[in-house]
Amino acid sequence: MILMVCIDDRGGMMFNHRRQSRDRVLCARMLEIAKDTRLHVTPYTQKIFDPSAPLCVCDAPWQAAARGEYYFAEDGEIPMERVEKVYLYRWNRAYPGDRFFHADLASLGFILTQSEDFTGSSHDQITEEIYVKEN
Amino acid sequence: MFDFKKLFGKRALTRALAALLLALVLCLSACEGQGTGIVDTTVADTSAPTEQQTTVADTDTDAPTEEPTEEPTEESTDEPTEQPTEQPTQGTTEAPTTEPETPAETETEEPTPELDISNLPAYSGKDYVALNGNVPYFTESEKVTTSYETYGDLDALGRCTVVTACCGRDLMPTTDRGNISSIKPTGWVQAQYSIVNGGNLYNRCHLIGWQITGENANAQNLITGTRYFNENMIPYENMIADYIKETNNHVMYRVTPIFEGNNLVASGAVMEAWSVEDEGDGVCFCVYLYNVQPGVVIDYATGESYLEADGGPTTPGEETTIPDDGLLHYVLNKSSKKIHKTTCSSVPTIKPSNREDFAGTEEELAALYAKGYKDCGSCKGAH
Repeated sequence: MILMVCIDDRGGMMFNHRRQSRDRVLCARMLEIAKDTRLHVTPYTQKIFDPSAPLCVCDAPWQAAARGEYYFAEDGEIPMERVEKVYLYRWNRAYPGDRFFHADLASLGFILTQSEDFTGSSHDQITEEIYVKEN
Repeated sequence: MFDFKKLFGKRALTRALAALLLALVLCLSACEGQGTGIVDTTVADTSAPTEQQTTVADTDTDAPTEEPTEEPTEESTDEPTEQPTEQPTQGTTEAPTTEPETPAETETEEPTPELDISNLPAYSGKDYVALNGNVPYFTESEKVTTSYETYGDLDALGRCTVVTACCGRDLMPTTDRGNISSIKPTGWVQAQYSIVNGGNLYNRCHLIGWQITGENANAQNLITGTRYFNENMIPYENMIADYIKETNNHVMYRVTPIFEGNNLVASGAVMEAWSVEDEGDGVCFCVYLYNVQPGVVIDYATGESYLEADGGPTTPGEETTIPDDGLLHYVLNKSSKKIHKTTCSSVPTIKPSNREDFAGTEEELAALYAKGYKDCGSCKGAH
């Protein structure tokens, strides 16, 4: 499973059961990255994508996503033992948070292979970091 | 002691009437033979802010691996660190809340509870506490989709009162930020401490942040707030501003500074926000933020302060005199490209030809880093 996750400056993902932020350009980028395979999301996450977006929607996408398939995690679980690659998106902003992504990727055997900044629809700079798990 | 009854009394009355009306409707529905489940669903649909909340709550319930972690400390909020969990392979951690998992009903249930600041827990390292299940107190009639902003009159002591806005893209600033140093909010007794980020204890804190409505030197929108308090308000403002930019929707926003008795410095502020078009699906919070500065004792009656470690009011020499201009002040070493706090022990050793006194905004400070400046390793510069 290839994990996609968005975090703020403090590693936050959500606050009061809501995502911290969203961005149309980022959603389009995720779809482009996953175009040759599947992008799994929960019903909650589906709502920020275009209704015609080719998503695999279910209540437990972290279980449905197979090897090589993508899972954009917001409100769902993140079983790191199933993750082979991580697309970490940094908002480069601070938001309130009460749900965090605090996995220590290095200690879990992931190495940073690529980092790229891009401009979002409502964010000046979003950073995409790609981590791959060493065998 | 601040009494929310005065502030929310009228709304509470409205809610009581709404609850009465709903009860009548429910009784009539039951008499017509409709099942209890349908009635329950109706109530849930009407009162729960969003479908999303139900979904997430279900997920949380089914997700035993998302264990609460220790309350974030000041350090942990500044810099993410790995939180201990019972199941280390789970990538997420959730902060504990003092509120129930499911936010309290807002539109159809009991009248708004009367809150008193004396019921709030004392500051213990967490910068906020959620109120009313983290659901704001806006009534249905207050939720509108036409942008406006109102700034309450100053009270008899010259203190800010409540500010309310229906925030939309059209209220956002289109020009550069202006100077606000002409405003001296109540309790403005500036002091500088090396333990405070930027040196200055106090900031002129916008109740409604500049990025949302573009208000500059508006005395009805600026209070004396600690640097810590100001830094903790910004994430909430970011959430609102970025949501509006992304969706072009509106967000109801209200900030109420809480002054105890005749204090001139607010103890904190209640921040409420609700995204209107999607009925709180995008933005929904109701929090009380503490106007404190860790390590500094504040006399809220006057605004005077002293270092907690000293155990008493500041003596001359400990508190340095700084320009009261609302800017950040640092000392730069142009040779080593280091940023020092003005109180850094290295400052006196800088050659005059290499020294430059910096007084600027956050943006100008960021520009220094872009030019290759780094924080002093000893005093940590601007961090």
